[in-house]
Amino acid sequence: MRGFVLACLVASGLSGACQSVLAAADDEKWQILQKAALAAHALSYQGIFVCQSGQQSKSVQIKHFFDGQNEYARNVLLDGSPREVLSQGGDLIIYNPKNEKIVIEKRRGQNMFPAVLPVNLSIVKQSYTLRTGDIERVAGREAQILFLVPKDNLRYSYRFWIDTEYGLILKSVMFNGRNEMMDSISFTQVNLVNSVDLDWFKPQIDNKKNYVMEDEVPTQADFNPSPHWMLKDLPAGYYKVDQMLRVVQGKPLPVTHVVFSDGLASVSLFIEPVTNGIKPRSGHSVVGNTSFYSSVVGYLQVTVLGEVPEATVAAIANSVVFVK
Amino acid sequence: MTEQISALLDDEFALEDAEHLMAGMQTNGYSSEVWSQYHLIGDVMRGANALSPNFKQNLMALIDLEPTVLSPNAAWANDPKLFDEKDESNDVAVKKQATNFPRIWSVAASCAAVMVVGWMVLQNQVGNQATPNMVAHAAIPQETVLLPVTNEQDVPVEYLMAHQASAPSASSYYIQSASYTE
Repeated sequence: MRGFVLACLVASGLSGACQSVLAAADDEKWQILQKAALAAHALSYQGIFVCQSGQQSKSVQIKHFFDGQNEYARNVLLDGSPREVLSQGGDLIIYNPKNEKIVIEKRRGQNMFPAVLPVNLSIVKQSYTLRTGDIERVAGREAQILFLVPKDNLRYSYRFWIDTEYGLILKSVMFNGRNEMMDSISFTQVNLVNSVDLDWFKPQIDNKKNYVMEDEVPTQADFNPSPHWMLKDLPAGYYKVDQMLRVVQGKPLPVTHVVFSDGLASVSLFIEPVTNGIKPRSGHSVVGNTSFYSSVVGYLQVTVLGEVPEATVAAIANSVVFVK
Repeated sequence: MTEQISALLDDEFALEDAEHLMAGMQTNGYSSEVWSQYHLIGDVMRGANALSPNFKQNLMALIDLEPTVLSPNAAWANDPKLFDEKDESNDVAVKKQATNFPRIWSVAASCAAVMVVGWMVLQNQVGNQATPNMVAHAAIPQETVLLPVTNEQDVPVEYLMAHQASAPSASSYYIQSASYTE
């Protein structure tokens, strides 16, 4: 009897130890990802990466500088029209050549490569599991592959190649449920920089062109306390991160725009009253890496889109309930 | 007309055919009153109380608890003319009047406050017609039919641009949708 108890104790101790070893291994993987999330912000680097989505592919030159407090980055498109994105902290200024003009657009920046991961990974952990893969060479550097696998079919999977020395993400690829590549961004060359000057942090000015601010794309806070809709049963892992009223091209009235995220993928929900004389839109489609879903709920036209599976945009559209 | 309003209320009247009703309710005071009343009846039948039970008593109790500030009275008390009267009885009468008069006003003000609050709550109720809780019961029929597949050219590009402006993906900074025209 005593032997049996002892055996039980040893067995439970062993399984406990196994579990803690597994948990430690899991923690270690997440730590690599956590380091990658921070490295993209906290390192100074320059290089060229190739961005591929659908049939298109563009090369981008990047220089990123962190002075211990502020982040500065300049991204210049090397293929096609020479669009430039300058960012300081979260503020972006995009110099977008359009015909004979260069349109200056202001945006709030987020998840710009290689900073594609949120610094706080706890939301990502809810919906994805992490697996380690092989070591591969990317952009002349050694990289550890990590698979971020969704726990359900409401999101795509990701594969990251992480520099074993710098911790920086060298390559990021998104796959759909059939393991088809949806989009991919990969450094072809990258190196760390030590210089502290900021001479490079300015757009290349073309004297022959007119620089104009974009037509205001006003968004305003949406304070309506009793809108004619509510959200019920959102798909698991997606949280509302923003809500605003937005002027959308061709719409007479501002449209309610709600943004959801699972930490990696974002989905936009647009709600507007059905307009007299305009045929309500209802249907679904996938174009490139973006899924669309439109439906009519009560008197409301609902449009949902995002870089997520069709099931997710449909679920978010169906979570909108019309309130009289 | 009232029958149709009732049917509309019960979701037995197609929304597409209800335009004349909407127009009617906007212009015709009687129709909009019928609409409000039917909602009120519906609310009562569903047991959705606009106000909590004993709302009036609770409110009055709370008002009683509030310290009554009678500033006009204080001003009166500070006015020496009122109390300089030689006649004792007259003095008392003036004092009495001085204290009674504002109290009546405070009661009137309380009543007005109750009415205003009550009216606002009622308006809100009639305006909203339904609380989220009730909607869950009312179960508006959701689209369950399979939606048609939209063609690529039918995709709402204006929304794609709005999405990319507020929730850009890493590649959307550099690659724009094929349907996006520069």
